Formats: sequence, C-alpha cells, structure tokens
Amino acid sequence: MTHWIDWTSTALLLLGSFVLLSGAVGLIRFPDFYSRLHAAGKNDSLALILFMIGLLLQSFRYGTVGLSAGIRLVLIVAFILVTSPVATHALSRAAWIDRVQPWRREGTND
Amino acid sequence: MTDYVLLDVLLLALLTITAVAAVAMRNLFASTVILSIYSFLMACVWSNMDSQDVALTEAAVGAGVSTILLLGTILLVGSREKPERAVHWPALLAVTAVGAALLYGTADMPRFGDPQSPANSSRVSKGYILQDVPKVADAAGHHTGPRSEGNYFHDHVPNMVTAVIVSYRAYDTMFETVVIFIAGLGLILFLRRRTS
Amino acid sequence: MKDQHILRVATKIMFPFILVFGLYVIFHGDFSPGGGFQGGCVIAAAFILYGLVYDAPAMRRILPRGVSDTLMCLGVLVYVAAGAWSLLSGYRFLDWAALSPADPGSGEPWGMGVVEYGVGLTVAMVMITLFNEVSG
Repeated sequence: MTHWIDWTSTALLLLGSFVLLSGAVGLIRFPDFYSRLHAAGKNDSLALILFMIGLLLQSFRYGTVGLSAGIRLVLIVAFILVTSPVATHALSRAAWIDRVQPWRREGTND
Repeated sequence: MTDYVLLDVLLLALLTITAVAAVAMRNLFASTVILSIYSFLMACVWSNMDSQDVALTEAAVGAGVSTILLLGTILLVGSREKPERAVHWPALLAVTAVGAALLYGTADMPRFGDPQSPANSSRVSKGYILQDVPKVADAAGHHTGPRSEGNYFHDHVPNMVTAVIVSYRAYDTMFETVVIFIAGLGLILFLRRRTS
Repeated sequence: MKDQHILRVATKIMFPFILVFGLYVIFHGDFSPGGGFQGGCVIAAAFILYGLVYDAPAMRRILPRGVSDTLMCLGVLVYVAAGAWSLLSGYRFLDWAALSPADPGSGEPWGMGVVEYGVGLTVAMVMITLFNEVSG
C-alpha cells in the first residue's frame, strides 16, 4: 500500500523539479519579456502545484497530524491556483500598457 | 561541512550578490524589486537556522508590506537616481575597517547551537526554555515561596519565543508597541493634509 | 484600474481569506510561529491590496481615517489596560497571574492572548496609515 504512494509522490516531485528547472532555463534563454513571463508563470503555478500534490501524498502516512498538514497543503494549492495566474496576467498587462513590444522574427530588437 | 552549513553558505552568497545589485542599479524601481528578493533570501536564511518566528516576520514585513511602501514612495519621487557615480573613499575605508573588526570579533563566539555557551546554559535561559522561572513574592504577599505549586505557569506554551516576549519580558514588548504607535502618530502629524 | 476586471474579482475573492489568515497567525502565536506583529502585517497587507487594486479613496471608504486612528490607539490601550488590571488587582504590573487568581499558573495564556490582539491591531493600523499617508 505504501509502496505506490512512495513511487507516485517521487514521480510527482521529480516532475515538479523538471518543470522548475526548465522554467528557470527559459527565463534566461527566451528572447523577450512576454515569453520569459510565460516560463516564469509556469514555475509559479504548475511546478508548485505538482510539488504540493507530491507532498500531500507523503502526508498520508502520519495519522492525524498528517491530515491537518494535508488540509493546509490543499488550501495552499487552492490559493496558488487563484492568485498566481492573476499575478502573471497583471504583469503582462502592465507591460502591454507600457508598450513593451513582443519579439519579431525579421528584425530582432536586442 | 554539514548540509545546513552548505545551504547557509549558498544563501549568503546569493544575499551578497543581491545586495551589491541593489546598490549598483540606477533604476530605483528595479532596486526596490531586488530589495524584495533580498528580504525573501533573508527569510530563507532565518528559516535555515530554525528560527521560524523571525522568518515569518521578515517575509511578512520585508517582502510584503515594505516593498509596497517603497514602490509607493517611488511613485512620488520618480525612479531615476541622481547620476553621481564616484567612489567615496573615506566611506569605503570606514566600512571596510568596521567590517574587518566585526569579523575578527566573531572568531571568539561559541559555535552555532552550542548547548554549553553562556547564552544557552545560564539559569535564566534554562528557566525560560522550560518555562519554570519562579515568581517570587511581592509586597502584597502573593506567590509566597519559590517554585511552589502554582507559582509558575504550568500550562506550557509550545512557542517559547512568544512565551518569553509576551510573558516574561512583556514590559519590552509594551514599549515596542508604543514605539510603533508613536511612528504612526508621527506620520499623521507630519504627512496628513487637510483635504477640505 | 477601472477596467482591470480580473484583478478586481481576484482581490474580492482573496480579501476575506487573507484577513482570516492574519487572525489565525495572531491567535496561534502560542502554538506555532507567529504572534501579534506578523499577524498585524498580514491584516494590513489585505487592506493595502484592496487599496492598490481599487482606489485608495475606495479603501478609505471601507476603513475611514477616523476608524484606523482610533483602532491604532485602542491596540496600545488594550495592552496597557491588561497590565493595569493586574496592577489594580493587587499583583505587579503585567503579571498575568492576576487573570486567574485561583490557579496562578493558568492565567498566562489568557494574558498572552489578549496582549497579542492589542499588538496586532496597532501594527495593522499603523501599516495602513503608512500606506494612506505615503502613497494614498
């Protein structure tokens, strides 16, 4: 019973780490602000949620203390789902109002 | 080189880089965001040392409210720095001398978390950690006798930081609250405009 | 930010949860990291978020200047009044054993709780005043 919990949570944590790493690489390598924000927004929303679900599976083996920790993790996931995409939207909208131009293939602007 | 020492070294290196970047930036808006990153890294350093109260305070105040207030100030002041870029040699010398003296002084400090250090093994600290500092009698005659039954608080409060600052040293916390109140009072007196 | 519909809706959704979390941090100061100062900052952050996304006058409509000034003074008053209660009961100043004379050991958590509320209230109102005066 605990065997598949361990395997699943390890897989989720590794997947979350991979998303985090690729988001960090994208943050450096992408050519303009909007695509970098796309990579960073994936970090905030997706990688954190994968991490939290992996940790939630680990909390099942600790009885009632694990239950209270698990409920808190679910609440954290819910709040991240609400606020992190809104923050990314606010950033990109602020950049659009400030007339930051997206990267175009013909004439690069760096 | 244990794992928390390694993490500490990594975080402190990042902290130094962030601090230098915050000073060297010419755009004040970017400087404010980097100061917010600095606060977050500082919260990680405190959390690495297992002091969660300080980490929570640093995250709430530094990376939360303080950044917003600095951004609000930039709204009023403008986000360009004045273009003076020369190095101020007396200031650099003074800062280097004081920093070297501090580093020399920390060579004599006890190891981190040493249970035999004077701070951790004095009678008062042990009493605060176990929360059984006896309350001696006062002029009205309450709590006669040391350490008798009911003479110390036996509802052991799990958070020993709160127990020390709100119960054993409640006087200091009262003055801290009064200082914050005076700061708010100063804001109202100096900065509030009559909008009539 | 009149046309920022997403931001306004998200702020209205998150506002009560941030307030509840701030209160949780204040009165779980005895059992988990937290206490008055941290909880006060979180409560202030909720109101400052409202003031940023809507207008600062809109924030002053839900929390007028008179109310925040009064609550700022009330927090310090709660702290000092709890200490004065001990003094007037014949114990020493800020001696929490006065709050349950029959069992002097168990007055401590009561005193600590009351005082944390006072501290949290003052800190929250001072932060909101800072936001109002500097950039509101």
